[in-house]
Amino acid sequence: MFPSTRSLIGAGKRLRVPMPIRALSTPSQSNAPSTETTTTPPQAKLEPTPTPTATTNAEQPSELRVKEWSERLGAFGEHARLPRSVQALYLRPLRRKAEYGLPVCDLQLRSYSVQNLEFFADFAIRAAYYLNLPVSGPVPLPRITERWTVTRSNFVHKKSKENFERITLRRLIQIKDGNPQAVQAWLAFLRKHAFYGVGMKANVWESESLGMIPRDARLLDRSDPLTPVTDAGKALDASLSDIQKTVGPHLAQFGQRHDNTAKESIFDSLDSERFAERKNL
Amino acid sequence: MSKVASSMFHPKRLDLSGFVNTRLIRDHNKRNAFAQMEPERQALRYVIRNTSLPQRTRAQAQLQLSQMHCYTRPTQIKNRCVASGTARSVFRNFRLNRFQFRMQALAGELPGVKKASW
Repeated sequence: MFPSTRSLIGAGKRLRVPMPIRALSTPSQSNAPSTETTTTPPQAKLEPTPTPTATTNAEQPSELRVKEWSERLGAFGEHARLPRSVQALYLRPLRRKAEYGLPVCDLQLRSYSVQNLEFFADFAIRAAYYLNLPVSGPVPLPRITERWTVTRSNFVHKKSKENFERITLRRLIQIKDGNPQAVQAWLAFLRKHAFYGVGMKANVWESESLGMIPRDARLLDRSDPLTPVTDAGKALDASLSDIQKTVGPHLAQFGQRHDNTAKESIFDSLDSERFAERKNL
Repeated sequence: MSKVASSMFHPKRLDLSGFVNTRLIRDHNKRNAFAQMEPERQALRYVIRNTSLPQRTRAQAQLQLSQMHCYTRPTQIKNRCVASGTARSVFRNFRLNRFQFRMQALAGELPGVKKASW
């Protein structure tokens, strides 16, 4: 894996900064020359003394840079495996399977940059997995393209113009038959870790069983507030009086105006003197 | 036009920041005046249009509405560029004049706005 010219202390020092555990695991490589074996091994493993590292760094060629992620991960995986949750970051996001497929929440992400949007959509899906929420998406929705044509100059020169555009990219993430509280927690988590340049919009639906009395009606029913009525029709009947009370004043406004109601019928007015006079003419 | 001085709508302290212009301040005052008097205007408009009310009341309401200060009218409000105060060709999305829009877009100050070619 490692080239033979590289010393172990150098590797240990380089890897010590991001992850101290690696410094312990890497010196088990046996193919490197034992330049540092003269120094005390435990000291070299934990905290290399400054003098030998300085010499070895000078010997090192400049081509030894930080390797690619896959290589580093592979090298690491030979000795110890990453925690599953960390390793999952290098793989496609895991998903729960929806049992009923009833949509509970629609989350729309919007951004002007693809990278931010894709990253955050991925983040949202991973978060949903750990909250036990079945997710479908991200569905790429149609882009919104806005274009403006403006005159280049601030005065006259009408024929010289310039075009500008702003493309809004959208992704739809749908949660299916999840627990409403878990959905709220998911949304709160996303809001807490909101990514720059990415907007969010969520539609949340809640469903209630038909047999239960509606929550509002239950609140209005003063006599026995917590008794569930087992029939939807009965629930409506129970809330009827309250509805009538609230709607009553509005319904009273309907109908004819008081000053407009005629006292006598149309035939009486036709037979009246004014019309009779005209008839005789 | 009413004889009441328009200075009654001027705030004691200047409550605008950024680019400031006499005409911009005036427009700002008009907006404030309209927001303040809007319920009254709507009430009078309702009285005028309500045919079930006596004719005398409606005529009085008409008179009252016409005697309100011109700054309280919504038609007095005109969108102005926040960066230059210009009243012409102001984009509603950015509240900027076309030229200010171009300058800021080229400077990359408007998120997502790029030069287009298609």
